[in-house]
Amino acid sequence: MQMKRLLLLMLVAVAPFLAWAQREVTGRVTDSKNGTPLSGVSVTVKGTRTGTTTNQDGLFRISVPENSVLVFSNVGFADKEVTPTTNSVNVALEQGQGILQEVVVTGYGTVNKKQYTGSVSKIAGTEVNLQPIGSLEQLLQGKAPGLLIQSQSGQPGSAASVTIRGKGSVLGGTQPLYIVDGIQVTAADFQSINPADIENYSVLKDAVSTSQYGSRGANGVIVVTTRRGQNAKTKLNYDFQYGIQAFPKSKLVLMNSKEKLDYEALYDRPDGMNPFGWSQADLDSLSMVRPSWEDAIFRHAKTQQHILSASGGNDKTRFFISGSIFDQEGLVKTTKLRRYTGRVNLDHTSGGFKVGISSTVGVSELSGTDENDNVISTPLNAYRWTLPYITPYLPDGSYNLLDPGGNPNPLPDLFLNTNKNNQLKLIGVVSLEYKFPTIRGLAVRTQWGVDFTDDQNEDYFDKNTQVNQVIPGNAGGFSYGMIRRVRWTGTTSVSYDKKVNDHNFGISLYHETVKRKTTTNGYTGFGLVGPIKNAAGITPGTPTNNFIPTVGGNVNEDALLSYFAIANYDYKNTYFVNLTGRRDGSSRLAAGNKFVNYGGVGLGWAITSERFMDNQKLFNNLKLKVSYGSAGNASIGDSYEALEQFGPTSYNGIGGLTLVNLKKEELSWETRSTANVGLEFAMFNNRLTGSAEVYRSRTNGLYLNRQLSSTNGVTSILTNLGKLQNQGIEIALSYDLVKNRDWTININGNWTANTSKILALDGKEEIISGISINKIGERANSVYMVRYAGVDPDNGDALYYKADGKTITNVYDPNDAVIVGCFDPKGFGGFGTSVRFRDWELSALFTYQYGFDIYNQARVDVENPQYWFSNLSRDILREWQNPGDITDIPSPFNDFQDGTTRFLEKGDFLRFRNVMVSYNLPRTLVSKWKLSSARLFVQGQNLHTWFSFKGYDPEVFTGVLTGAVYPALRTITAGVSIGL
Amino acid sequence: MKYSIKYITTIILGGAMLSSCSKTVDVDPSHTVNGDNFFTKVEDFDFALTGAYQRLKLNSLYGGVNGGSVFLCAVDVAADNFYTGANNLGALNTMFRWNYTADGTVPRGAWNAAYSVIQQANLSIRGIDKFRATDELAVNRVEGQARALRAYMHFELLRWWCDNYDRNSTALGIAYVDNFDVEQMPARGTVKETYDKMEADLKAARQMMSNMDKPIQSGTTTQGTGRAYIDTLVVDAMLARMYLYSNQLDSAIKYSSYVIDARPLATPAEFPEIWKDATTKEVVWSIKYQAGEQALAREIYQPAGDLVSWRPVLALLALYDPTDVRTNSYWLNKNSRIILSKYYAKTAATGNPDGIADFKIFRTGEMYLIRAEAYARKGLNAAGLGDLNTLRAARNAATGSESGTALETAIQTERRKELVVEGHRFFDIKRTSRTISRTQNCTSFCSLASGNRAWNLPVPQTEILANPNMIQNPGY
Repeated sequence: MQMKRLLLLMLVAVAPFLAWAQREVTGRVTDSKNGTPLSGVSVTVKGTRTGTTTNQDGLFRISVPENSVLVFSNVGFADKEVTPTTNSVNVALEQGQGILQEVVVTGYGTVNKKQYTGSVSKIAGTEVNLQPIGSLEQLLQGKAPGLLIQSQSGQPGSAASVTIRGKGSVLGGTQPLYIVDGIQVTAADFQSINPADIENYSVLKDAVSTSQYGSRGANGVIVVTTRRGQNAKTKLNYDFQYGIQAFPKSKLVLMNSKEKLDYEALYDRPDGMNPFGWSQADLDSLSMVRPSWEDAIFRHAKTQQHILSASGGNDKTRFFISGSIFDQEGLVKTTKLRRYTGRVNLDHTSGGFKVGISSTVGVSELSGTDENDNVISTPLNAYRWTLPYITPYLPDGSYNLLDPGGNPNPLPDLFLNTNKNNQLKLIGVVSLEYKFPTIRGLAVRTQWGVDFTDDQNEDYFDKNTQVNQVIPGNAGGFSYGMIRRVRWTGTTSVSYDKKVNDHNFGISLYHETVKRKTTTNGYTGFGLVGPIKNAAGITPGTPTNNFIPTVGGNVNEDALLSYFAIANYDYKNTYFVNLTGRRDGSSRLAAGNKFVNYGGVGLGWAITSERFMDNQKLFNNLKLKVSYGSAGNASIGDSYEALEQFGPTSYNGIGGLTLVNLKKEELSWETRSTANVGLEFAMFNNRLTGSAEVYRSRTNGLYLNRQLSSTNGVTSILTNLGKLQNQGIEIALSYDLVKNRDWTININGNWTANTSKILALDGKEEIISGISINKIGERANSVYMVRYAGVDPDNGDALYYKADGKTITNVYDPNDAVIVGCFDPKGFGGFGTSVRFRDWELSALFTYQYGFDIYNQARVDVENPQYWFSNLSRDILREWQNPGDITDIPSPFNDFQDGTTRFLEKGDFLRFRNVMVSYNLPRTLVSKWKLSSARLFVQGQNLHTWFSFKGYDPEVFTGVLTGAVYPALRTITAGVSIGL
Repeated sequence: MKYSIKYITTIILGGAMLSSCSKTVDVDPSHTVNGDNFFTKVEDFDFALTGAYQRLKLNSLYGGVNGGSVFLCAVDVAADNFYTGANNLGALNTMFRWNYTADGTVPRGAWNAAYSVIQQANLSIRGIDKFRATDELAVNRVEGQARALRAYMHFELLRWWCDNYDRNSTALGIAYVDNFDVEQMPARGTVKETYDKMEADLKAARQMMSNMDKPIQSGTTTQGTGRAYIDTLVVDAMLARMYLYSNQLDSAIKYSSYVIDARPLATPAEFPEIWKDATTKEVVWSIKYQAGEQALAREIYQPAGDLVSWRPVLALLALYDPTDVRTNSYWLNKNSRIILSKYYAKTAATGNPDGIADFKIFRTGEMYLIRAEAYARKGLNAAGLGDLNTLRAARNAATGSESGTALETAIQTERRKELVVEGHRFFDIKRTSRTISRTQNCTSFCSLASGNRAWNLPVPQTEILANPNMIQNPGY
């Protein structure tokens, strides 16, 4: 039955269009440049699939209904729409105009892409917004060169790490600045924003574009523009999708019951053989136990989403309104994200005035579980570390707490405790613009906006859980924390444009203030002994019951005051200049150092606009651009980092102060100067388009912890003391293999290679911090460890290379540590294809990252023989036991050293990130249902990942996989998009 | 129209001006204080001093987990009193196995924590001198405590890091930091130099605290909440302990006598109440822990969850007489194994023990043992035996009649029984026989010979890298 329906659907899809009230139109299509006839031009009736192609002489003949519109399209030419008034129509198509008129959004303005000399990658919202992901920055993985997205967690609503053109900072933030509709919003805080509201993302990478943002721009900028209404008939849209998610398999395999019991009973270790004293009967029966921990903790999680939107307007007022519900279950049974969003964007023009409002409200409810730690009570650790012959439940259905190794059962902590986050997010921006009618080109504009986030975190700790052991009074607890973040951005500008003969110039002068205030308050109460599992259930504290609650609060405020100018000039639309200059003052720096200057200059040359290029056919567009400039990085420390601060404390009930921050009078921003050379091109009738860029950036005043003698009570002080270089190459290509009426086949891809190098460390040769090192001449965040050299077959000792790399010793000496790798990838990117056949579309995206190492702490915790009372890696069965054993796992009698290359692994991976098949229902059917469009789709997310790393997933952005892994999930969804 | 343009321009430019004064970028913290302008009277220094006391509760010092408690639990784990228990996650294994390395987290944590207390003690008297002219008695009160605290933390460091405890030893000492200047790179100097400064600080503290604006605490109180701070009595106890280590026996006798006279021993009936923090009878100084803070001896036994990381060896338990009041105060038979219950819970929480208890860092019991040992080593057998038997009697233990070497051995045995998990065992062995042999429940790591590097902790690698004047202990 289902099969029949599908067949019917397919028949409908390819069924020819049935027309009524027809007339015949003929004509000729030519190249507007030289009048030569164009063959193979697709001619279709707009809104239908009726169509034909031109012949060798550029001639066509087509039957059309009354009052219909013809669309002419050809590879390398801009589409053209014509309403035939007579039965004969001649059309001249313009070469590549569609590409040349593409605009880029830089946040403070919109510029013609051809005239812009900066490096900006653009991603249309429609390319990515159907992926079933709660946090929008994750959608951009693999979509733009230079943009590295690493998402370590598959927990609903979790944020990814975003890096643009390499990490320009070691200790400071490396996340880009996010600008939404002109105002700064908090990075990595998108769980309450609906990705379907996004019109496009612009990734600002080079200095001429980022220097506009001064002290905040060094890590690049992601400018997000939301959808706005058009001067068109009102369109209503409903989107729905539904899907399920599954957990990937870990490559770090642990022992099963039999293996673990064999290990306990038969392997010699310092604690003796058979430490639990199992009898043979115990061993026989326990080795048959096959506990289903994964079933107890995980589920096939459902995800669904509904979006309703309306847009339209007239020549004066335009609107876009949307509402959405996103409901994603996490794979861990208690985790989920539910989000409700609403948006109203309005524009109104009256005379010289233009007012605009962008406003969105999002409410999200998140239930999470701890991840990325190695705490034994964390359920995602506990289910792996518990003994494999212990079942989750006892036969009577109660939790099995009888693990002889004392490993906690993860289920009480998972099911009895709750961890909730409620977020309210508001982003509102109003703008007023006035164009002077008397002075052409002069305009003034002011824009004020707020990014408001209110997070309320509620944690309930049940008295019957593992974590209860560390709760005062040991009778449960309830913790409430409120974080309110408010950031105001106010920008006021005067701009003037002028065209004199072949000279075009424009200049804008800006004034901007950004004020941020973060307020936190919270308490933890104890003695949750009654039936109420929230604040109301807290037992009041007395001097004897140990239930005295803890309370706390904090406020952080800072402000940025800026003056800046952005100017552009071009001559004959062939030679381009962009200039920016900005002066930023920050409350976070010490008095006297508060103001810092930034600036950038970009030059461009549209080679194809030159006379001498008129006669070549190869290039449709060729542009060379260079830029140089600087931007700062302001994300370090707290708001008062430069001051010597004492924070509150108490002893024996008396209030006191302790030093919490050292004074840093010289502290300033990191300044990243970037030189960029780029080439943009379109070739073979615009079939092949792409860009290639090389860049070199230098971070001066690199934040590093200058080591101090720890006898002073501190080990280091944050100082601008280093110099770091990042250089790289970015290539993006897109090629239309086929583009005609029935078929479009496009392949595209991008590749970025980035390498960093420490240039200076204030006279020091190197700064070592644990297993990571920054050393002059080497990559930043290099891994610094003693090299593991295997196992001595004679005595089972772990062997290590001495610093010389040749001598092998069985003595672990930290002085033998050398640089053995790097946590940051050398290269990354994405590639994919999009195929259209009539009403069917298929798109696929692969992403990849390579050339980086991961320290696998999660493996350390299951390969350390001291933890024999928990479950261990299956690899430990190869442990050295007798002289002559050739193995890679040392004797358990040998001192276990975790900080060696034994636990360092390559992280390279290739991921089948997304595949989507969609089908546009034919117009006949759709109009019969009184709809304007209907589209069905099925997509798969993360269907497969190729990697060798021993874990669930190699996407680890800190370089250290700590434990409690909640990896990215495999997701399959299906949905429908209906235009009303 | 002209008017409206003017109007709009005014609004927009006015809007810009409104927020553009440079005051915008002057923002002061509201939830912390700025050290540059806060300390304007002596009472302000009191706050910083309170902060120094609070830092005594840093993870790696006395209480603590995950390789913490280096000056308390680890001192016994590294010696011969414990063997590994069922719930040992290995946090102190490195101390038990004596395989600490310079880049290990345990020695680094201990080093940094002790110097962190010293830092805050120094900060609590930074610039206080300028108030001496107007407010000398208050300054004496604050500075006396700060200098005693600083001196004692250096003594703790000396115990773990220095190889030789003799007063005039020229072996490597401990960098003595007596001012706050993050840029300084101090050298270790000799043990003698360390003692010179330590003794000077303690003597100065004693002098200052005898002339104060108000008492720090009641010298005679036995309330459970009492004796939280350092006063002259605590300084006397510190001096007594220091002189015992430095082998200045007459001074050890003198200062321990001051404490013994001022703060008599608890009776056998009172003794168990000390460990529930119901009384401070015979307690000289106790570091106060409160609900919500770390369970003190969690590294050995954690009452919440009944988790045993380390179990006492039978050789130790067998030393207690059946009648000994310490047996039930220190040890508990729970779920068919003996656990350390010395820091089980305060009275109010005994029904639901959480391990939160005060650390009784100086007690009169120890003062008797110091004086007994000093007498015995001077050959004053009768006086030594007298002190030892006084203590034994107060604990309902059998008295004896030892003399000579037997008496010295008996005093060490009594120290082992009386002061278990009070931060003494490893150092007592280190300063006397210097050999550890674990005979019971031991399959590996059973003996530490006198020449082993592990008698001293390694200076953290981070410190060696940062401070060119720092010298590593031999063997690391």
